[in-house]
Amino acid sequence: MKTTLPPRLRPAALAAFVAFLCAAAPSHAQSATHPPTEPPPFREVVDETGRTVRIPQPVRRIVSLAPSLTETIYALGLQDRLVGDTDDCDYPPDAQKKTKVGGGINPSLEVIASLHPDLVLATKSFNRPETTHALDQLGIASYATDPHSVADIIASTKTLADVLGVPEAGASVAEEMQHRLADLQQRLEDLPPKRVLFVVWTQPLISTGQHTFLADALHYAGAISIVDSSRDWPQVNLEEVARLQPDLLVFAESQPGSTSREMEKLAILPAWKILHAVRDRRYAAISDAVNRPAPRIVSAIEELARQLHPAAFAEKPSDSKKESEKENPPSRPVALRASSPNLFPPHRYSSSMGGCACSR
Amino acid sequence: MSPGRSTASPRTPPESARLSTEIRLAVEQVSYAYSANPTQAPLFTLEATSFQARPGEIVAILGPNASGKSTLLQLIAGVLQPLSGRILLNGFVIHSLSPRNRAQRIAMVQQESRLLFPARVWEFVLQGRHAHGRSLRFESSDDILITQNALAQVGAAALSDRLMDQISGGEKQRVILARAIAQQPLLLLLDEPTLHLDIAAQVGLLDALRRLSAQNRYTVVVVTHELNLAAEYADQILLMQSGRCLRVGPPALIYQRELLEQVFQVPLKVEMRGHGRPRVTILSDS
Amino acid sequence: MQPLTFRKLLFHCLLLLIILFLVVVVALKFGAVPVSLYALGRDLLRVVLGQSSQMSSDYGLIIQNIRLPRIILGILVGASLSVAGTSFQALLRNPLADPYVLGVSSGAALGAIFALIAEPHLTLPPVFAALLTPLCAFLGAAATITAVYFLGRREGQIDSTTLLLGGVITASFLSAIITFLMSTVNSGNTRGMVFWLMGNLSTSFQKSTYWFLAAGFVAATGVIYASANDLNLLLSGEKEAMHLGVDVRRVRFVVYIAASLLTGLAVSVSGAVGYVGLIVPHVMRLIYGSDHRTLIPAAALGGAIAVVIADTLARIVVAPSELAVGAVTAVAGAPLFIYLLRRRPA
Repeated sequence: MKTTLPPRLRPAALAAFVAFLCAAAPSHAQSATHPPTEPPPFREVVDETGRTVRIPQPVRRIVSLAPSLTETIYALGLQDRLVGDTDDCDYPPDAQKKTKVGGGINPSLEVIASLHPDLVLATKSFNRPETTHALDQLGIASYATDPHSVADIIASTKTLADVLGVPEAGASVAEEMQHRLADLQQRLEDLPPKRVLFVVWTQPLISTGQHTFLADALHYAGAISIVDSSRDWPQVNLEEVARLQPDLLVFAESQPGSTSREMEKLAILPAWKILHAVRDRRYAAISDAVNRPAPRIVSAIEELARQLHPAAFAEKPSDSKKESEKENPPSRPVALRASSPNLFPPHRYSSSMGGCACSR
Repeated sequence: MSPGRSTASPRTPPESARLSTEIRLAVEQVSYAYSANPTQAPLFTLEATSFQARPGEIVAILGPNASGKSTLLQLIAGVLQPLSGRILLNGFVIHSLSPRNRAQRIAMVQQESRLLFPARVWEFVLQGRHAHGRSLRFESSDDILITQNALAQVGAAALSDRLMDQISGGEKQRVILARAIAQQPLLLLLDEPTLHLDIAAQVGLLDALRRLSAQNRYTVVVVTHELNLAAEYADQILLMQSGRCLRVGPPALIYQRELLEQVFQVPLKVEMRGHGRPRVTILSDS
Repeated sequence: MQPLTFRKLLFHCLLLLIILFLVVVVALKFGAVPVSLYALGRDLLRVVLGQSSQMSSDYGLIIQNIRLPRIILGILVGASLSVAGTSFQALLRNPLADPYVLGVSSGAALGAIFALIAEPHLTLPPVFAALLTPLCAFLGAAATITAVYFLGRREGQIDSTTLLLGGVITASFLSAIITFLMSTVNSGNTRGMVFWLMGNLSTSFQKSTYWFLAAGFVAATGVIYASANDLNLLLSGEKEAMHLGVDVRRVRFVVYIAASLLTGLAVSVSGAVGYVGLIVPHVMRLIYGSDHRTLIPAAALGGAIAVVIADTLARIVVAPSELAVGAVTAVAGAPLFIYLLRRRPA
């Protein structure tokens, strides 16, 4: 089914906007009172940003305003209820076929309203509070998540599943994530963490601070960032890096092969050549998925762990539900097939989570 | 200093001997048209104009506003390209000279220009030496001597170390003249040099000009609105009206009541004074 | 009356050179990795003697491969921007003219951002890929110069006001395109672009790039310096200069191209380091007067000093992180500029 977008009106056209408000409000009221036999089934919850929201039950039509939320909905098996998502929602590929409501920063309220959603999902780091306020004004329920760590993601996924009326699916997804992380932790237990430089951008050198998903993900993957900064995306002095001499460089890979190209580019520069890791081409690539607070982050962490600590995976073959895994040479940043159906097809990374954009 | 140009006798020669027969400046059938857009009819035209001037001679160009006086001066300076005709200086076509060669022969005194950054008087006068050396160089002792000389000739030696924006209008005009002298030109062009000057400064400037043209054998062409000063100091008058040169000749021939009244559109009275210089009095309507 | 002599010029330059040398020593000493002055002197001597192989320690390598090249880059960028600013100011008879006002920097930035967006989609050998961004920045600067130059022509002549206004409009137009690209193009990393736009000297290049930069600087500055006297006369106005024997059209063309080349080179390696081209010529004019024979070398050395100081601050203020040098020059430059503007006689 191909949904045609209604013509987007310029926000400046006041008349059109007024007309839109008049048209949208009654239509929503109509959809809300559609099942006249039942008492108005609402459920009141407090979302992760502290707002109290009244959510119509059951939630049949969902609009997602962030790629991570779209991925979570697919992971919970609710893809059929997803009626709209953003331009940035590209994973899984099927998500690209959904009706697009625009970008996460500035979605089209008109398109959202025209989809008659029961619930709009937002996430604090990717969307603006103005958007949820505007949705409130239109009488459209919205729920916002705000995870800050890998553990938060698991908890958030669980709560979200509950809000959407599928607590069992949430529990199983959360359990799987926890199980896989625990397995990983067990494998890496006795190994000293690798000291890595996470490279967000090379010229100038931008890395990640201690309070980001990336730092947390690195930690789970058996690595520790040599950069100790309270800023989320600090510009780092190369001298300091040369003094600390990281074991490896870690890149977030936007395109297959981009990391090795990047590495070759650095290897010819005098300033970078003094890093042993650059000289010896010691590097690892991590999927862009680390930037999305969604269940897939576990796969990205596993993938990185395999590259950082190949020995841990060679000695003790996995006894869990993983499919055929081939051992990978230490520094080959091939897109690994981790467990579960979360594959990494070559895709274009597109969102910039929480204002960050890490894809080099 | 090249000997040909500066061997001026210290005393002013008698009037008859002062003008040689040698032609220095020859303006031959020069015309010009100005248009904002090449496809449109010109906004302003200068019809074919001719005159000649000898060394030591002062030519005054007179005429109401928009009569083409300044355009003619710019053509002689070589800044504008004539539509037809040619201008010769000592037999050379002015417009075939490079800017540098032109500046070695022609000096222009314009209405005061605003300086972007303050400069000392001596720095300003030293600029006149630019055309006489290579582009990038340091001033020679000759340059400094000539500069000091030029300042002395206009009676402004004492101003040497003052800043250009701290001297009076009359002083500034004399300093600009000094810079032109430092250029050691054959031809000295002045565009309304007496504008904004008080009467004493006007007379002082023109006296200096007459003395210099006699001493240094400059040919002087001056654009002015001052009918009486022109009558007093000029050897030749060029009378212009709406892009046309009406008449060329000595003041006594040009200063005729009907002609001047027709050109300047005011009732006036012309008197001939004892030394052959006319004087004009403007009559008010009442 | 004390006209400029070669000896006087040499004296001025020597003084500034000594200051630059001291600033470079300080810049070499301070950084994320501490180095003693003794070790510094020893290592520098070894570099000079060509015995750099003896410096096996990482500290020596840090000085030689990171800190020194960065300081050299700062010197070249500062000197280029400052000389370009001086030239534009004389050429346009406008003390507010500088590469940024004329849109040249924005053009270079746009070129660089195009390169950053296109680069992941191209398969280039590493040697060329490393040069792609500077090359595109330079092309962007050159294209902007040409466009602004034609915008500024009226009746076949360059009109200073039109040129300045054309530059300002072009700059804001290009900035709008950059903003548009950064907010719509998904593939890129906008964070990196923003840092690049702010001006940054932390970029490392191959040795040949430094030689190329230095050669370009010397050539373009040489061309401008050869017209130093012409520029002096241009300060009193184009007509005046013409009457005094300056080939105004030729000087304007040559100096314009050379100054733009300097800007393109600087922006292509460092991004938009602002205010250097505006402030340094002003300060040097206050100290040395407006004679371009002194002003151009003084501005070059002064620009180098200013940028090396600014970059040292950028490196050490929030160490081990660092700031963009453009942020430092803007923070220091804007108030200084307002101060200079206010104290200038009306």
